[in-house]
Amino acid sequence: MGSATEYNRRDIFKRAAAVTVLAAGSSSLLAACAAGGGGGSGTKGAAPSGSGSATNPFGVKANDPLDVVIFKGGYGDDYAKAFEEMYKKTYSGANVSHLGTQDISPKLQPRFNAGNPPDVVDDSGAQAMRLDVLEKADQLTDLSVLLDAPYLDDPSQKVRDVLLPGTIDQGTIDGKVYSLNYVYTVYGLWYSNKLFKEKGWTPPKTWDDFLALCATIKASGVAPFCHQGKYPYYANYLIMDLVAKQGGADLVKRIDALDPTAFDDPAVLAGVSAFFQIMQKDYLLPGTNGMTHTESQTAWCQGKAAFIPCGSWLENEMIKVTPADFDMAFLPVPSLAGDKMPQNAVRAGAGEPFIVPAKAKNQAGGLEFLRIMLTKEASGKFAAAANSLTVLKDGIGPDVVLKPGTKSSAQAVTAAGGNTFNYTYPDLQTAFETEMENATTDLVNSRITPQQWVARVKAATSKKV
Amino acid sequence: MTIHTDTTGAVPAQRGTDRTRRPSQAQRFADSGGILNVFSHGFLALWALMIIVPLFWIVLGSFKTNAQIGSSAWTWPGNWHFDAFARAWDKGIGGFFANTVIVLAGSLTLTMLLGAMAAYVLARYEFPGNRVIYYFFVAGAMFPVYLALVPLFFMVKNLGQISPLLGLNSYLGLILVYTAYSLPFTVFFLYAFFRSLPTAVHEAAMIDGCSHTRAFFQVMVPMAKSGLISVFIFNVLGQWNQYLLPVTLMQQQNSSDPDHSMLAQGLMNLALQSGYASDFPGLFAGMTIAMLPVLVVYLSFQRQVQAGLTSATLK
Amino acid sequence: MRHRKYPFIVGFLIVPVALYVLLVIWPYLQTFGYSLTDWSGASQQMNFIGLRNYTTLFGDNVFVLALEHNLLLLAVLPLATILLALFFAFMLNVGGRGGTGGVQGVRGAGFYKVVFFFPQVLSVAILSVLFQGVYRTDQGGLLNGVLVELGVEDPNRPWQWLSDPNLGLWCVIGVLVWSGVGFYLVLFSAAMQSVPKDIYEAALLDGAKRGQTFFRITLPLLWETIQTAWVYLAIAAMDCFALVSTMTPGKFYGGGPDHRSEILSTLLMRNFITYGKAGYACAMGVVIFFITLILSVVALRVTRREKIEF
Repeated sequence: MGSATEYNRRDIFKRAAAVTVLAAGSSSLLAACAAGGGGGSGTKGAAPSGSGSATNPFGVKANDPLDVVIFKGGYGDDYAKAFEEMYKKTYSGANVSHLGTQDISPKLQPRFNAGNPPDVVDDSGAQAMRLDVLEKADQLTDLSVLLDAPYLDDPSQKVRDVLLPGTIDQGTIDGKVYSLNYVYTVYGLWYSNKLFKEKGWTPPKTWDDFLALCATIKASGVAPFCHQGKYPYYANYLIMDLVAKQGGADLVKRIDALDPTAFDDPAVLAGVSAFFQIMQKDYLLPGTNGMTHTESQTAWCQGKAAFIPCGSWLENEMIKVTPADFDMAFLPVPSLAGDKMPQNAVRAGAGEPFIVPAKAKNQAGGLEFLRIMLTKEASGKFAAAANSLTVLKDGIGPDVVLKPGTKSSAQAVTAAGGNTFNYTYPDLQTAFETEMENATTDLVNSRITPQQWVARVKAATSKKV
Repeated sequence: MTIHTDTTGAVPAQRGTDRTRRPSQAQRFADSGGILNVFSHGFLALWALMIIVPLFWIVLGSFKTNAQIGSSAWTWPGNWHFDAFARAWDKGIGGFFANTVIVLAGSLTLTMLLGAMAAYVLARYEFPGNRVIYYFFVAGAMFPVYLALVPLFFMVKNLGQISPLLGLNSYLGLILVYTAYSLPFTVFFLYAFFRSLPTAVHEAAMIDGCSHTRAFFQVMVPMAKSGLISVFIFNVLGQWNQYLLPVTLMQQQNSSDPDHSMLAQGLMNLALQSGYASDFPGLFAGMTIAMLPVLVVYLSFQRQVQAGLTSATLK
Repeated sequence: MRHRKYPFIVGFLIVPVALYVLLVIWPYLQTFGYSLTDWSGASQQMNFIGLRNYTTLFGDNVFVLALEHNLLLLAVLPLATILLALFFAFMLNVGGRGGTGGVQGVRGAGFYKVVFFFPQVLSVAILSVLFQGVYRTDQGGLLNGVLVELGVEDPNRPWQWLSDPNLGLWCVIGVLVWSGVGFYLVLFSAAMQSVPKDIYEAALLDGAKRGQTFFRITLPLLWETIQTAWVYLAIAAMDCFALVSTMTPGKFYGGGPDHRSEILSTLLMRNFITYGKAGYACAMGVVIFFITLILSVVALRVTRREKIEF
């Protein structure tokens, strides 16, 4: 980022002016910002005095330090540093400390236990703290005050009005919103368009086509399918997508509600059995069942396997090892006969939960940080730095150039129209999710049958942390 | 532990003389030795390979590319550059080493001093409660650390309220915890050692008007040197390999807090980071960097280490 | 002299005892107290719930499984490590070519000792990363790479090592033995060197085979050192947290697949840190405490009898 003093000087003038009007115009500066690496578009001026005013709805004290912890995974943490600069532009006296880590739970849970949590946490990754556990321990701030606060770019709107549908549901526990899932994530299968063109393979639309193609792929010496076996939740993306498409949106809701009868629905067994065909027909990359996400995704990038299930962070996460001409592409999970959802339906929605701990010393600052994150400027910076979309409606200008994988997943979402769905149980039902992952590990190793998988997961619906 | 040399030494010897010697003994002696020799060399060489090969493989891994590491374990490095090392070093391995050295310097000094003091008093002085305190210490050696982990965490946190120098993520706090958890074994071992030392020298010193404290530091400690060295080595290895305690107690309490990670903890973090950055060569390079100074220190001191452990069994 | 004795005793004992009580004994005692509450560990709020944590505990299959695994470790780890270490120590000290020089160690004994001991000084993190590479489930893993190259296994069916429910825990034991043997080898070696060589020579002259000297001479003479080694290894077997939590699959502190490599320390940490069940974790701690106590008492009994024999 450019020189901080320059921002500050400009800021002073802006504060003197009618800030809210200026703030609304900030989105037009997005282009300059995305192209020039964030040079000189400080517009988020707000009078830092007083509490609960229109411009400072949470009563942030300008000099209070802000402690930000970011999950440094697929999206990196450079975007968050840019947000922190934005925060400092408004609250110039604030000392913003930043920690980017992969080790969220081991690093932060002790701080929560000690009553000394940070002010904002991006609680993601394999080591994420469990939201349901935190909620039960009264460790989370109810974000409804944020949702009802005026939107920074256009104070006539509330924050909740500018979010993509489903965002709020994704962070709701027992009727209250505790997390802001910031990144619009699309889940499904991924492949290399280059490899497919080279070999003359057509991305399949139905599961039968998928299996037929897998046979062709295997014959050509490439493993048809690999997954991140050490972390079985990736395989669950595929399994549960098959189930959702077969059973419809209503089934998704029942599963999220841990309704045991949901697993009596034949759609569940149909989806799991379809997935199990991969094992029965021996389409797995050898060794994939024990591989970490890095190992398997690297193997996939090297063309050892054709398909991999993942979320849309994949492209950015693997950017360093992906060959330049790889041409990453997204494939909605192929459809089964009798599916209730159309073929182009995709699991998509808000991911990457950001929370404000209830015992945060600068809770107001934490909320304000989230509000700043939702501006067009911030959303654009995120797209540029992390190569992904945010939950902000029309979050990026046309000038932001997306990489092929993200572009293809965005197109899939557009094609799906209203036919997107998402599960909340992975974030909110720790015990159930863990048990389902254990069952899936056994399933991919053919140690249990699809029937046994369904029985085990059904039994797990009674499990709560 | 004091007895092998004298008592038992005599037993097999006696057994030997009772037997009648056979004429072919010289022949059989050499035969069995020869077979055993091949056999033992074979096994020893195999085990040595099992240790050297994986370690060497890690070092080679730092010169491979990501693709090579993923393809087959047998690929020969194709990237003879030190860029992976530079990336790994940037992640702060030097800092982890420094933190570990600081903490271990403090905790080992304190462990040896306090442990020797307590063991000496318990071993050489009669007073009411002596046995109770001794068993109190010994009992602690039997239980794994994690049993006390939950309350210990809050104890250290509360110490931090007295002074931030003592609390979570502080060197001193961890030094005290390491010391406390090393005391049981140290006391147990040195107790036996001090008991085995002859009393005459000490008594002579006392008669000469030496104070108890001076007698300890100037007479007993030099006499107990070999025992102290053995315990020291045990403690170095034990504390060097601690993982659970630092992972719980040495976490940054604020994002602007300095990173006081111990080496094991820091390297584990590095491993996790490379997972998300898909940087296997960097990870292997980090491990190589972490291995080298240890190798150097170990090779320079291995004689002392072995001699120290010898004294542990000899006295 | 007597009048100066007590101030000295107190002066020497006060600091170590205070530190020990504050940081070791008191937390252990608190563990007992918290185990009777539903404390989450996140706040100071807790309710007394009597023995409910304990009744839940014994209905908890995973806890029983973890306990079994620890007992397995307790049985296998010391036995395997000590046997191997004894074997190597015997080789190094007595296994050399006999003849004119009498009983001696093999050539290069010094080199072997240095190499064998080295894993002990490696940080446990290095062990973890190293062996994740060794046990990698495709051909990029050292073991699978070797086995495929040797034609022992089918490249399309590589072994799953840590991810195999029946193999995972054994893989961890392998690492512990690999890294621990050297230390005990040096320890036993030292003890063997304290045995005068002429005892062996006398026995050999007497017609005993070298193998026999091991059981007739070495083992009885080293008995006490072996017991010490057993105690350390038993303590190590009750912990194993670092390796299991970082190497094995499974959400939060490993222990997978499907709890098949779960041990008490990982289960306790998961309940305390991840699930916010500090009271429950403490109850677990108390049960482990008593199990360790019983085992220690049994061990002490056995040890005592052996001592009388000497």
